[in-house]
Amino acid sequence: MSPGLRRVIASLGIVAVLAVLLYWLSVYGSSFWQGLAINLGMFLILVVSLNLFNGFTGVFSLGHIGFMALGAYVAAILTLPIASKQAYLPNLPGWLAGLSLDGMVGPFPVGFLFATVIAASLVALLAFGVGLVLMRLSGHYVAVATLGFLIIVRVTLFNADTFTRGSRTFSNITAYTDLWWVYGWAVLAIYVVWRLKFSAFGRAMAAQREDRWAAQSVGIATMPPRLLAFVVSAFFTAVAGALYAHFITSMSPNVFYFDLTFRVITMLVLGGLGSVSGSIVGTVIIVGLAEALRRIEDVTLFYGMSNIIIAVILLFLIIFRRQGLLGQRELNLAWLFGKSTSPSNKENKQP
Amino acid sequence: MNLVYYFIQQIVNAVSAGSLYAVMAVGLAMVFGILRLINFAYGDQMMVAAYLAVFGLGAGLPLPVALLLMVVGSIVLGLMMERVAYRPLRGAPDVALLLSSFAVGQILQNSTLLATRLAGLPIQMTFAAPDILSGVLTFGPITVAKLNIVSLVAGLVILLLLTIFVTRTDLGLAMRASAEDLTAAQLVGINLNRVIATAFAISSALAAVAGLLYAAQAGQINPFMGFTPVIKAFIAAVIGGFGSLPGAVLGGYLLGGLEVLLTAIPGIGDILPPGMAPPAVQQFLQTYLPGSLSSWRDAFVFIVLIAVLIFRPNGILGGPQREEMR
Amino acid sequence: MKVRIIALLAVSVLLLAACAPAGSSQTAAPAAESAAAPAADTIKIGGGFALTGDESVLDLPAANGAKLAAKEINAAGGALGKPIDFIVHDSQYKMDVTAQTAKQFVEEDKVIGLIGYTDTDSVLAAGPTIQKAGIPFLTAGGTSPKIPAQVGDMMFLAAFGDNVQAAAGAEYGVNNFGKSAYLLYDKGVEYTTLLGDYFKTAFVDLGGTIVLEDSYDDDTTDFSAQIAKVKALPEQPSFYYVAAMPYNVGTVVKQFRDAGLTGPIIGGDGYDDPSWIAAAGEAANNVFFSTHALNDATAGSDAYKKFFAAYSTEYGHAPENAFAALGYDSVYLFVDALERAGSTDAQAIKKALEETKGFPGITGAITFTPDQHVPQKGVTIIALKDGKYTLGAEIVPTKIPAP
Repeated sequence: MSPGLRRVIASLGIVAVLAVLLYWLSVYGSSFWQGLAINLGMFLILVVSLNLFNGFTGVFSLGHIGFMALGAYVAAILTLPIASKQAYLPNLPGWLAGLSLDGMVGPFPVGFLFATVIAASLVALLAFGVGLVLMRLSGHYVAVATLGFLIIVRVTLFNADTFTRGSRTFSNITAYTDLWWVYGWAVLAIYVVWRLKFSAFGRAMAAQREDRWAAQSVGIATMPPRLLAFVVSAFFTAVAGALYAHFITSMSPNVFYFDLTFRVITMLVLGGLGSVSGSIVGTVIIVGLAEALRRIEDVTLFYGMSNIIIAVILLFLIIFRRQGLLGQRELNLAWLFGKSTSPSNKENKQP
Repeated sequence: MNLVYYFIQQIVNAVSAGSLYAVMAVGLAMVFGILRLINFAYGDQMMVAAYLAVFGLGAGLPLPVALLLMVVGSIVLGLMMERVAYRPLRGAPDVALLLSSFAVGQILQNSTLLATRLAGLPIQMTFAAPDILSGVLTFGPITVAKLNIVSLVAGLVILLLLTIFVTRTDLGLAMRASAEDLTAAQLVGINLNRVIATAFAISSALAAVAGLLYAAQAGQINPFMGFTPVIKAFIAAVIGGFGSLPGAVLGGYLLGGLEVLLTAIPGIGDILPPGMAPPAVQQFLQTYLPGSLSSWRDAFVFIVLIAVLIFRPNGILGGPQREEMR
Repeated sequence: MKVRIIALLAVSVLLLAACAPAGSSQTAAPAAESAAAPAADTIKIGGGFALTGDESVLDLPAANGAKLAAKEINAAGGALGKPIDFIVHDSQYKMDVTAQTAKQFVEEDKVIGLIGYTDTDSVLAAGPTIQKAGIPFLTAGGTSPKIPAQVGDMMFLAAFGDNVQAAAGAEYGVNNFGKSAYLLYDKGVEYTTLLGDYFKTAFVDLGGTIVLEDSYDDDTTDFSAQIAKVKALPEQPSFYYVAAMPYNVGTVVKQFRDAGLTGPIIGGDGYDDPSWIAAAGEAANNVFFSTHALNDATAGSDAYKKFFAAYSTEYGHAPENAFAALGYDSVYLFVDALERAGSTDAQAIKKALEETKGFPGITGAITFTPDQHVPQKGVTIIALKDGKYTLGAEIVPTKIPAP
């Protein structure tokens, strides 16, 4: 069997196992564990998307949560039932007040799908514009400028209170999000990012990450791959935002700020900037660790300790193992199960 | 009140606000100049200094002693931070330093939270400002808070002292050399560890001063108070020219001026004395300059910041951008 | 290499570890945590609070007050003859964690009711789960009158609605000072934004005019720009209404007085915080605020003095702000309803809560009705004279803006 076919079967196998797990969880799991799994899924999307930009292009963005916020608000405004719109957003312009994407086709919330895609597309469009402006900068200047973007988004959300209720909590969003939505989008995001990594664009990104001048001197333009990575990562980050909004069913601009940014970055750095499977591993570890530490805190009363421990972990990583657990390599399942490296396996290893 | 006096008062307010930001920004700029480190833990250093001041004053220490305690404590903390979290990262990409400072900030905040709780202290403590920092001085219809005068004087003195230091002393010269080119400085035999430690010590001392002033104005302290100051100091430092000390001061005043401007102008239609301007003008002002313009302040500030980063990445007082082959 | 296997193992271990304390967090709780012996037959009540994070400035005192109440109730024999297990989970002021702890309360701890939170964001994050589980949710410090409509019929507030206290403030201003006012509010927080909004509506309804309206960011420490505008007014209004959070009140009032603005300042229950008053010195004069009750160690009711002493003994410092008292009252209120219901059945407790009439809390007498889950509490206006709490008025406002 050719390595290509083997890979496809392996991937499908993983998805099948995931589907079985999800089914089991949705039927037998308590809503707490389902909730934890949904949180995990949302963070997976966030981390993998951020990795696409921060990890693959080597340019560090601190403002992606701004895209999440925009995705959340736009999607929520679109799906809010008309009655709720009148109660909570009384001053919406006419066309928006009458619009509510809460239609269902049988048991399938079509409206939610449309709202998510529309929201994410609009955000991606915005990201294109923002990217054109910001991608000229380099190094920590981009980090600073994207931080500025995060703050600008936040201020805008606070002020555009006819659309967002400003500082007042935006509530009563329909609870569409469930395990299937989250992991459906997560699988899609991982697939897209994986394909991008191992494509011509991905190689261009890697080249200009390693050495911008060398890349330019062999004719690789910096802007297109960076911009593509920025836009695609913004798209999926916005999707995660929409999922968040329809899971917690309430939000305010305060949610999408430094705390969330810091958490996502920690997961990203732990897994390894540039490794898709690393992002998955890093996310799972941090989400699991945070939950375990939270419970320990409740018992020992050392509130604040979990934040300290996770910050210390991040510090350790940055100082001693900046490439995180996996660096830029990917998890090779064949190796994991103890197969020795043979010529056919070597082909499996991706650069 | 006369409209002229109103504008004068607002200018005074702008200078006052700017002085505080300038003091905050200079400390940040010091470290960035040499290490290219955006020290996000700076606000938390200010917070720790404020707590030290509260404990000192609360324990009955006379003001100068409490201040000394605060400054020394802050320097010790800063040197520890440098040794543990930043020195191992020398030569690393800038982003690593930034993330490291984020992590350090988190550790400081939550440790303070935990420590004060375990010590039986309330989460938010009052900061009773010493006499020299509370109250106002009046000059006719214009009022200035004493705190702001102190900030202004402190800012100028600090700037003066630092300028003398970096231009006239050997160590200062070494710092400027390191700021320009870290590797070259090492090549000519400059003891980098000493230079950087000095920079951090100065920066931490400045953090202590800034923390004292900020806490005195806010009137109370809590473990999370450092977040806003560091963002403001950061904006001020970048606008003025990151790494340039006079630039940081300039940036501070620009930021203060912008903030006051965005509050002072809107709503002016409501406060014009009757008959001062023709009703049409008054109406115009009331419609187009509503009181809510100040809500956009932060966004406006950051848009300016981004524009500066794109067109003058080294800030207003820094030179035009030099491409770095890194 | 090996790192990967270790990583995967670590993940599994951690997930298992996350499962393990689930059962043990109650039974292994040290004596200091829950107020009751961790026996199987206890009344489990949940306490959700943000003990870390920005909101902890308000939530921590509320949690302390609540825990104190649970401890006192157990010392007096418990509720329905059984000890109370007051289970507290820190929401870390992260909304996803808040939602998760709500599920934990319901599914793992199996509480019969949830008490907690002082802000609308957290209440709304936890609300849907609690409502779906059909158990009562009593918020200690949430004051937005819209909350019951947003969450559902199991939702109750322990504090009066902001529309009520704003109306009371407006009435007091009109009756005592005049019909022109200056409005200043903190626009970064829902509570103050709503309070300012309700005040405007109520005041205009009573025939008043707002001569100038202004706002500031939540993290502002320098109000001189806003103050300069006030000073520039051709004529000073009869009073100033300033809707501020506890951590800003002292600074605002002091800067107003320093600038020579000596007119009356009226505010909301955010002013009910002894620490700023002590620090403000002379500035704490001619200041009035609407709050739940006269909570002062010297001038307050006997019940409050008892609470003050007990809190100071238990925690080593005085109650930080009104939320400590609100947390305390919430637990007593819930247990009172529990006793009247005679059982731990959720619907019975809900009915008992709705039948609460004049429950003597230290933050005021609380009355609910089946369609009013925001308590009818008389509003107390405190007048500060030279830093001392005095009773300004007790108002039951007549014209209340709609939520």
